[in-house]
Amino acid sequence: MFRNTQFTDWLAKWMPRLVLTPSMVMVLVGVYLFMIWTGWISVSSSRMLPNYDFVGLEQYIRLWSTPRWHTAVFNLFAFSFLFLAITIGMGLSLAILLDQNIRAEGALRAIYLYPMSLSFIVTGTAWKWILSPDLGIEKVVHSLGWETFAFDWITKPDFAIYTIVIAAVWQSSGFAMAIFLAGLRGIDNSVIKAAQIEGASLQKIYRSIIIPMLRPAFLSVIVLLSYIAIKNFDLVLAMTNGGPGSSTEVPSTFMFSATFRRNQMGVGAASAIMMLMTVAAIIIPYLYSELKESRHVD
Amino acid sequence: MSTKRGSARKSVLVGKFVIYGSLLAIAAVYLMPLWVMITTSLKSLDEIYSGSFIGLPEAITFDAWVKAWGEACIGTACTGLKPYFLNSLMMVVPAVALSTGLGAINGYVLTKWRFPYHNVVFGLLLFGCFLPYQAVLLPMAQILGLLKLSGSISGLVLVHTVYGVCFTTLFFRNYFITIPDELTKAAQIDGAGFFRIFFSIMLPAALPILVVSCIWQFTQIWNDFLFGVSFTAGENAPITVALNNIVNVTMGRKQYNVDMAAAMIAALPTLFVYIVAGRFFVRGLTAGAVKG
Amino acid sequence: MKKLKYALMAGLLAATSSLPASAEETKIEVLHHWVAESEVAALNVIRNALAEKGYGWQDSAVGGMSGSNAQQALRTRLAAGNPPAAMQFLGYEGLEWASEGVLRNLGDMATENGWREAIAPQVLPFVDSNDGFFAVPINMHRQNWVWANKAVFDKVGIDQPGSWSELIKDGQKLKDAGIIPLAMGDEPWQIQLIFDSLVADIGGADFYKKAMVDLDKEALSSDTMKHIFDTLRQVRGLVDDGFNGRDWAVATGMVIDGQAAMQVMGDWAKGEFLAKGLKPDADFMCFVTPSNNPSFLFIIDSFGMFYINDENVTKGQDALAQVIMDPKVQSDFNKIKGSIPARVDVPVDDFDLCAQKGFAERADAIKNGTMLGAATHGFASTPQFSAIFGDVAAQFFVTDMSSDEAVEMLVDGIDNAF
Repeated sequence: MFRNTQFTDWLAKWMPRLVLTPSMVMVLVGVYLFMIWTGWISVSSSRMLPNYDFVGLEQYIRLWSTPRWHTAVFNLFAFSFLFLAITIGMGLSLAILLDQNIRAEGALRAIYLYPMSLSFIVTGTAWKWILSPDLGIEKVVHSLGWETFAFDWITKPDFAIYTIVIAAVWQSSGFAMAIFLAGLRGIDNSVIKAAQIEGASLQKIYRSIIIPMLRPAFLSVIVLLSYIAIKNFDLVLAMTNGGPGSSTEVPSTFMFSATFRRNQMGVGAASAIMMLMTVAAIIIPYLYSELKESRHVD
Repeated sequence: MSTKRGSARKSVLVGKFVIYGSLLAIAAVYLMPLWVMITTSLKSLDEIYSGSFIGLPEAITFDAWVKAWGEACIGTACTGLKPYFLNSLMMVVPAVALSTGLGAINGYVLTKWRFPYHNVVFGLLLFGCFLPYQAVLLPMAQILGLLKLSGSISGLVLVHTVYGVCFTTLFFRNYFITIPDELTKAAQIDGAGFFRIFFSIMLPAALPILVVSCIWQFTQIWNDFLFGVSFTAGENAPITVALNNIVNVTMGRKQYNVDMAAAMIAALPTLFVYIVAGRFFVRGLTAGAVKG
Repeated sequence: MKKLKYALMAGLLAATSSLPASAEETKIEVLHHWVAESEVAALNVIRNALAEKGYGWQDSAVGGMSGSNAQQALRTRLAAGNPPAAMQFLGYEGLEWASEGVLRNLGDMATENGWREAIAPQVLPFVDSNDGFFAVPINMHRQNWVWANKAVFDKVGIDQPGSWSELIKDGQKLKDAGIIPLAMGDEPWQIQLIFDSLVADIGGADFYKKAMVDLDKEALSSDTMKHIFDTLRQVRGLVDDGFNGRDWAVATGMVIDGQAAMQVMGDWAKGEFLAKGLKPDADFMCFVTPSNNPSFLFIIDSFGMFYINDENVTKGQDALAQVIMDPKVQSDFNKIKGSIPARVDVPVDDFDLCAQKGFAERADAIKNGTMLGAATHGFASTPQFSAIFGDVAAQFFVTDMSSDEAVEMLVDGIDNAF
């Protein structure tokens, strides 16, 4: 009996770490080691192939002197902000609407969800045509007689990035909806009934009770959508390829073209590090606050 | 009194009308791209070039689908998408299984067998999700070369597992944290070991999140292009690479109908998974939240 | 740096998985970006000729982005120590890989077969350098053609313009007749293509060399450059507003239909006309972009052979090189592809009229020193610089930047890329 407890204690102590080891190794190598490698390249003079010398911050200076990079950074923030806000808004609204005991809920839900299953290349190509003034919506509306209708954002450098927002929102809002719907379903009805008895209006109920209770759902949605926003690469490539001009360039396409097309691996690495730092600056505090809270829960 | 009830009924009716109306209008917008893709794939090429994209085909023809599946040229091999479809299948199944399995056991450990700094470990795992994949292509290629996995489907499986673990761990950890500790502690007292608890208590209860994780991973891995084009070539390429070759033809008339048919074929598995397993998806997410 | 080169080479030799030296056919893996049906048909000419020599062809096609996807695939393959046997190169790519020491030197074969004499001197630097004769060119495209609809020209009463100002004036006549003067898309390379022509046609061959190849700051900030941007702005007025996202082949279609009068495009546009059964000179016109000293902006596709630690593969690579440089193969390949043979000694008498024109004009250009590498496709400067020209030209074209701003952006951009 005594030996058993000692063994189970030893097991309890080491088994968890053992089990986690494969994943930790994969992540330490595949993520952190590669991050360090990228960092090293960003302070080297690498052009076509890796070159492990040291040139200080030269590549970073070069990076920040490139107007295309400024466009890319602006686009990332503009896109992410709009994408997150609109997708969360759409997702939440759809979830609330669907939660009202709708007939054919299953079918409607499938319709909102299916875009998520498509690859961004497929989505980008389809939306490129739909939004093209020559072939898509504008042409259809013109042929219906409304000649002055113009929806040629995709051709205008100042507006093209917003067309990408449209396609991305279409793709991801169903997913946000699913998460919010799950969250809504998890809310105990008795709380709501109590509030209704006390005479609170529907709006007030939603605003002060339901939405705050959706906090874990918000966390998941924000994490997943931020992931999609930062990784946004295939969609831009398929829809506009960074154009018109370089107006829809985003950091991921910039990094890719610098490393693989323009023989500027050092600059590409520098841009990747900048992306990582930005991500870290936003995600880490958020995760920290959420995880800290959950520590209190256990 | 009666007018109040009457107007109340009327406002309920108006409310319902507004709700259904919005839902249906939004549904139409959501369906439009799919509509465009399907109708284009069923039209003949001349019809596409003379009309616009949004419109019913004059004469429905499945030629484009036949071509996309069995005859389209991907480079000099004119085999259509079929062999690449199989490649993707061979890649996705092990990758989903491995990443989900690892995620499950990680989630289990991080919630039921807590050790000091377990939150830090979770944070490290989670942060890895946000890495821009373009940055890891070259170092990963070097590692795959060292492991003699370059150009093979197994190499792709490894890569997808490495970068899928962070997500699956997130899903499972958030789910298992809602399972009361008392359950596992009681089992421990009864003498059940680490793995016994995992297989007989945690996994059966985790069915909903298992589905969510599999669906998410399946979609991500099936639709991936970047890793596919970087780490495989020719015969071993996944379907996204082949699709890219079909769609990115710059010479000659663009065969939009074949392009769309090919895109649909590539999208069918994931579409299927989402439509069929969609309700399990929501159920899975719901189950996780309910236990809160 | 040298250490890295040797380390990489050693790594390649050591880590490369050895291919089975079996009695069956050895396969040569070729990485390329030709995925269209006509391109594939042309490739099959090489494939069949290689088969006659007893070697198989393992195809690794990666299309898209004008070869960029294939370049990316190559880099990861090299990083993994698993390069293909042969790779299709554009521009300075071959040179750069040769300087990294990963390409085989085919110099002995070149001397034996007299390849250097069969290749235009301006093209030679792209296949032969201090690191050896590292690539064999199969074809030559010309970038600065104008394709025009003959019927439209006749109807409006204009003829082949002799200068860009004449072309722009003709444009006004066409607009009055309700026809779009110039059909194009807004992809940066399409815009840059016109920019290249303007630099060569308005600035002249020497200016082109100074600005696009030497990247001389004086040339880049000169009044000539400003004038070129002014002209580009006028060209913008010849294009309809619906050119966003338009595929170049769709623009060619507009010329074929008579919706538009002209397209400035490389000779790959010819295939579109020929596929519709149209005849050069009778139905469509092909002429060089207007200038008093016309130039030939060339593009070549060449194949380089990577070091692979397998005797059979090495022999197969030699066979492939022989096949590619074979005059008959060059003739057959190019007839299907729509370009002209890279070898200047392969006659094109049985090619179409436009190809014959190109062949003759190439000979003139070589003599007159107006044979220039096409910048848009990487034959003037290396990608980090040529991309800047594309960025600026495209940005200028789709916005209402002033020429001064464009020149400034160009000078800064090139400076920054050094």
